[in-house]
Amino acid sequence: MDVKLINPILAAFFEIIPQIGFESIEKTNLSLVGSSIDYSGVLINIGMHGTIKGVILIGMSLDSAKCFASKMMMGMEIDTFDYIAQSAIAEMGNMVCANTCTQFTNMGIDDVDISPPTVLISDLGTANLPVNQTIMVSFIVDGIDVNIYVGLM
Amino acid sequence: MSGYKAMIVDDSAFSRTMIAESLREIGCEVVGEADCIESLVEIYAQCKPDFVTMDLILPGADGFECSTALRLYDQNAKIILISSMKDQQTEAEARRVGIVGYIQKPLDPELLLGIINNIMSPDTLYLQILDRGVELFKESLAQNFTRMTKSPVTFASAGMNNQQFTSLGISAIIGIIGSYSGSMFLDLSTATAEKCVSALLNRPPKDRDETLAMVAELANIVAGVACSMLNKQDKAYGLRVAPPTVFSSNSSAKLASPSLDLHSYLVETDFGTIFFGIGFKKGTTLWM
Repeated sequence: MDVKLINPILAAFFEIIPQIGFESIEKTNLSLVGSSIDYSGVLINIGMHGTIKGVILIGMSLDSAKCFASKMMMGMEIDTFDYIAQSAIAEMGNMVCANTCTQFTNMGIDDVDISPPTVLISDLGTANLPVNQTIMVSFIVDGIDVNIYVGLM
Repeated sequence: MSGYKAMIVDDSAFSRTMIAESLREIGCEVVGEADCIESLVEIYAQCKPDFVTMDLILPGADGFECSTALRLYDQNAKIILISSMKDQQTEAEARRVGIVGYIQKPLDPELLLGIINNIMSPDTLYLQILDRGVELFKESLAQNFTRMTKSPVTFASAGMNNQQFTSLGISAIIGIIGSYSGSMFLDLSTATAEKCVSALLNRPPKDRDETLAMVAELANIVAGVACSMLNKQDKAYGLRVAPPTVFSSNSSAKLASPSLDLHSYLVETDFGTIFFGIGFKKGTTLWM
C-alpha cells in the first residue's frame, strides 16, 4: 500500500473530529499490519471505489464507542450501544471517509466514492481486508482510544 | 405553486431577502432564517422546514460544515446549496456532505422550483433500484451459487430491518457505489462455509484462510454480476463494487447498517442457511 494515501486520511480525521464536538486529537502510533486484524469492541467498515479502492475501518472498544457517541450527542448518557449510538458512530465514519475523498480530490484523484458505513460489534472478532498490508493509525481523541485501519490499493 | 416550508441560511440580510422573495414567488413559505452555525440547528428544530437553502460562504463554519451539523441533527434534512460559485470540486464536496440540490446565484425561480419539486417528490430511480435491485441480487446469488456448487437455493424473507443482525460466524460485506450507494451482506456459519468449499473444490478446505477467501469470492461474484445486470438495465445507476471485507467471530458478532433499510433473506442451501442482506441509501440529487 502506498503510504502517501495515509496523509489525506489523517487530514480528514483532524478536520472532521473537531467539527463533531471533540477538542484534542493526538496521533500516537502508525504501524504496518497484515491483511487480518483482530478486534474487540466496535468496528466501522466503509468501502471505497475509484482509482483508489479498498476499505477503511475505524475501531474502538465498546466502552470507548459509548463515550464517543455520547460526546457526539452533546453528552447524552449512553448505557447501551443502541441504534442511536450506532448511528452516531457510523455517521462519524461516513464523515471522515467522505472528507478523505475530498482530500484525494485535492491530490488530483477525483473519482473515489464511498459505500454506506456498517458497524460491527464483537467481543472477539477478526477482519480480513482485501489487501496484503494494512496501515494502522492510533489516536487518542479527548482521552478515547481510536484506531483507523487503512486497506487501500 | 409549491406550498412547501423553507428555511434560509445566509449571513447577508440582503441575500436572505432576495432568496425569500424568490421562494415566495414560487409559492413557498419561509418559516425560518439563520445567519451562522450557532443558531442553525435550534432554528431548524423550531421551524421544521421541508427544505433548507444554504449559502456556501458563511462566517466561521462554511455551508458544508453547517450542512454536516444539520444532517447530524436530522439525517433526512433536505439541503439546497445556493452559491455564486459552481465548480466540480464544490459539487463533489456538496454531494459528499449529503446536500441534495445545488443552484447558482443569481437565482432563477423556475429552476429553483424544479429542484424543490424534484427533492420533495418520490425518487423514482430509487424506487426502481429497490424494486429491481433486490430481486436481481437474489437472482445473482441463486444463479451463481447453483452454478458454483451444483446445488439449489431457496429464499425465505427475513423481513426489512435497519437494526442490527447477529452473524452466524462469517460475514462478507460488499460496499456498492454509484448513483445510489448500498451494501450487500453474505453471512453464514463456518460449517456451512466449509461444506461450500468442499462442494466447490471436491476436497475439504486446506485452512481457514481458504474458507474465508471462498466467502469473499462468492460475495464478490454475486455483487459484481448483480450490479452489471442493473447497469445494463439503466446506465444511470452507474453501480460499482468495492472489494469485500470478511469478518469472522467465535462469539456472536452483531452487524448494523444504520443508514440503510436492509432487505434480508434466509437462504436455504444443501450446506446450511445463509443470511443474505441488500440495502440502498436514498440520495436524490439535482444540480442546476
